Amino acid sequence: MNHSRRTFLKVGGSSAALLAVVGCDQLPRELRFLQGQAKDSGPFQPPGAETVDPITHALNRSAFGPRPGDYARLKKLGATPELAAAAYLAEQLNPERINDEEGEYAVRRFETLNQPLGELFEYQEELLQSELMRGALARAVYSERQLFEVMVQFWSDHFNIDPSKGDCKWLKVADDREVIRKHALGKFPDMLRASALSPAMLWYLDGRVNQRQNMTEKPNENYARELLELHTLGVHGGYTQKDVMEVARCLSGWTVRSKDRKPYFEIGKVEFQLHRHDCGDKEVLGQKISAIPSHLSKAARLWLAEHELDRVLQIVTNHPSTARHLSAKLCRRFIADEPPSSAVQSVAAAFTESGGDIRATLRALFATEEFRRQRGNKFKRPFNYIVSALRATGASTDSGMEIVDYLRRMGHAPFNYPTPDGYPEEQTPWMGTLLWRWNFALALSENKIKGTKTDSAALRKNFGGDAGLMAHLLGRKPSADESQAYHESGAGLALMLASPAFQRC
Amino acid sequence: MAEVQKLLTGNGDERRTLVVVFLRGGADGLNLVAPLGDDGYYRARPRIAISKQEAVPLDGFYGLNPLLKPLEKVYKDGALAVIHAAGSEDDTRSHFEAQDLMEHGGIIGGGWLGRFLRAQGNVASGPLAAVALGKSIPECLRGAPGATVLQSLDDFSLGGERTDLTRALAKLYGLQTGVLAEAGRDTLAALDRVRRLRNTAYVPAHGADYARDDFSRGLREIARLIKARVGLQAVSVDLGGWDSHFSQSTLMNPLMTRLAKGLATFHQDLGADMRHTTVVVMTEFGRRVEENSAFGTDHGRGSVMFVMGGGIHGGRVLGKWPGLSREVLDGPGDLAVTTNYRNVLAPILQRHGADGRLDQVFPSFALEALPLYG
Repeated sequence: MNHSRRTFLKVGGSSAALLAVVGCDQLPRELRFLQGQAKDSGPFQPPGAETVDPITHALNRSAFGPRPGDYARLKKLGATPELAAAAYLAEQLNPERINDEEGEYAVRRFETLNQPLGELFEYQEELLQSELMRGALARAVYSERQLFEVMVQFWSDHFNIDPSKGDCKWLKVADDREVIRKHALGKFPDMLRASALSPAMLWYLDGRVNQRQNMTEKPNENYARELLELHTLGVHGGYTQKDVMEVARCLSGWTVRSKDRKPYFEIGKVEFQLHRHDCGDKEVLGQKISAIPSHLSKAARLWLAEHELDRVLQIVTNHPSTARHLSAKLCRRFIADEPPSSAVQSVAAAFTESGGDIRATLRALFATEEFRRQRGNKFKRPFNYIVSALRATGASTDSGMEIVDYLRRMGHAPFNYPTPDGYPEEQTPWMGTLLWRWNFALALSENKIKGTKTDSAALRKNFGGDAGLMAHLLGRKPSADESQAYHESGAGLALMLASPAFQRC
Repeated sequence: MAEVQKLLTGNGDERRTLVVVFLRGGADGLNLVAPLGDDGYYRARPRIAISKQEAVPLDGFYGLNPLLKPLEKVYKDGALAVIHAAGSEDDTRSHFEAQDLMEHGGIIGGGWLGRFLRAQGNVASGPLAAVALGKSIPECLRGAPGATVLQSLDDFSLGGERTDLTRALAKLYGLQTGVLAEAGRDTLAALDRVRRLRNTAYVPAHGADYARDDFSRGLREIARLIKARVGLQAVSVDLGGWDSHFSQSTLMNPLMTRLAKGLATFHQDLGADMRHTTVVVMTEFGRRVEENSAFGTDHGRGSVMFVMGGGIHGGRVLGKWPGLSREVLDGPGDLAVTTNYRNVLAPILQRHGADGRLDQVFPSFALEALPLYG
């Protein structure tokens, strides 16, 4: 079969005709890129209500927006739109039961994503960077496990690492795989521990140089501060400067082998060095951690010292501010920029009751009245905008650097945020990005992006004409003004993708 | 949301523009601004030193390379400051490592200019707030809230000129209320302003006549954008090729001519707009004090920085001169760094609105801001 892909590529424009003859079902997997991402080939059914209905809402918020065939498929999941949406969300909360051949296939060519930690140093940093970014884009567009990918994006911001710092250039790939993706819908305490001991995080927030070999040495507080301020309690979560220092003392001694250190195969290895640990009395958020007696055996002291990390993580995850902080962030992501406090409370309660189970927490969030009611009021961040446009048009894309460049211009390229707080979720900082969104809409609809293809004529036809296409893109029936502007614009598809309604979800 | 409007339209003195010129390749500070009063200079460079007669005297100790003469007037008028023996703490003498450290502002995520723009808080920035003139975004702008690579104004449009689409967008955004309506209006206004700029031939003011090289052409586009009040906050432009290991004069002379002419013309063109525009010129490291056998110089440490405009108290050479005697030279014989480049940038960023957030721009560094304005 090896030569057939090349043959198909050569025939180029006539491949659509070939597809019509052969039929999509018989296509070998290597050739599926020919049919674009839509599993269904149409005709498609657009939403028919005057406002965004629960099905479109679920696709807007828990996924990166609807693809051409999604609305009809979801509609069949329940007797009413509400029930259908609930069934879809339940399905998405169990990603391991969702077949995701398409998503896996889309990233198979990014081979660095699967390299073990030590091997990563064999690659050029530019390649690692581009595969990370392109992989994130490809998964967001193609994966059937949409909620999972949405949560990967959420946690990538929450535990943000800018790979441009030191060895993070190589180590972030492993962090993305073994911290973020591994735990995105798992247990928060597990993810927090994985992050605390992630080589990339030890580099990014200087944990690797946090040591206190004598009383005059000051521990490095960088990670300790962000752990409390960003990862757990939140900035007004009730900790003091003293707590930051005490946490830093507890975590002193953990380090990671840097690129410059031999032996080569141990680069990136995380280790605990007892002689660099502060063994004195400590108190974190009111809880005492007693000094490690020097008369104990070295093995016993090592065990106690190493486990101060677990003790600290337990104290901070169980603190009520952590549940509130995380719930507020989740509600901001899924409900509104100003999250309603009633929703935050019930989500926080679910987080606490479940011991930080992320699925249980999300289940509670999706069940809130506020989530169900607040539709079409979130401004899409640039990444979400671009991915939703690619999905809505059923584009086939190699998630190439041209698309990454659009994101860069809008300040939202994945893994490019410098500070540990991650890309902002609120709309204000993104309001200056409209021009590049409009340009992207135009380039996408007119097939001017290398490696990305849409078929606007087929899309229009499959939705039964202009009105259907507009309803699909807007998630509701178009207004009279929207229809009129669509017809006068000379670029209807681009206009819909550039319209105020499509900037929101 | 008045913020968006202000950023997009520019607002006289309130919206300042910072222009960062990076001399890539390690520019020889001793050949740009020579320490005429230090005999060590002449001893170390018997064949390539600038004589006291040729130099353009600055203050009795230092003299400009004669090819930088176009900058003399700007300096005398007090709008240009020289900072000598400036540089970073990086001692690898590797172009890549030194540029990386300087542009990031340490071993840290993101670039210093990117972090500066982010540190302005939760405000929207316009589509032309941060611009990299050239083909790619330099590391110093990494992590900016949006940075546009432009080679000229022609790159800033909605798919060429799409009148019908633009009109339809104006209609739909006009029907909105609130922030999205304003952002739409502001974006359309910026597009329109740039379109009109593009369609009118640009006539530099005050008789300024830009040279035809890429550097001057870049500065010319920057001047246009500043005058058009499109909300430009930071712009970077590179002038590369300073790695003068052999026959230094052949390599450096044309670059110095370009640098001096470009900056002087820009200064002349901007006129009163120079008050809210600061130009800073920097390089990753200077060169070995002693010339090598090939009439060139090898990688060193300290070099010079220039700061122009923006209300500085110029006409001075700032920074402590470390001397050139053997025992004070750095490593294999390099000018020691007495002013860390962050201490030059810090007061400028403060004036450009860093508002006490300098610790986010330059974390883990004890700043001692140079008195550029006092």
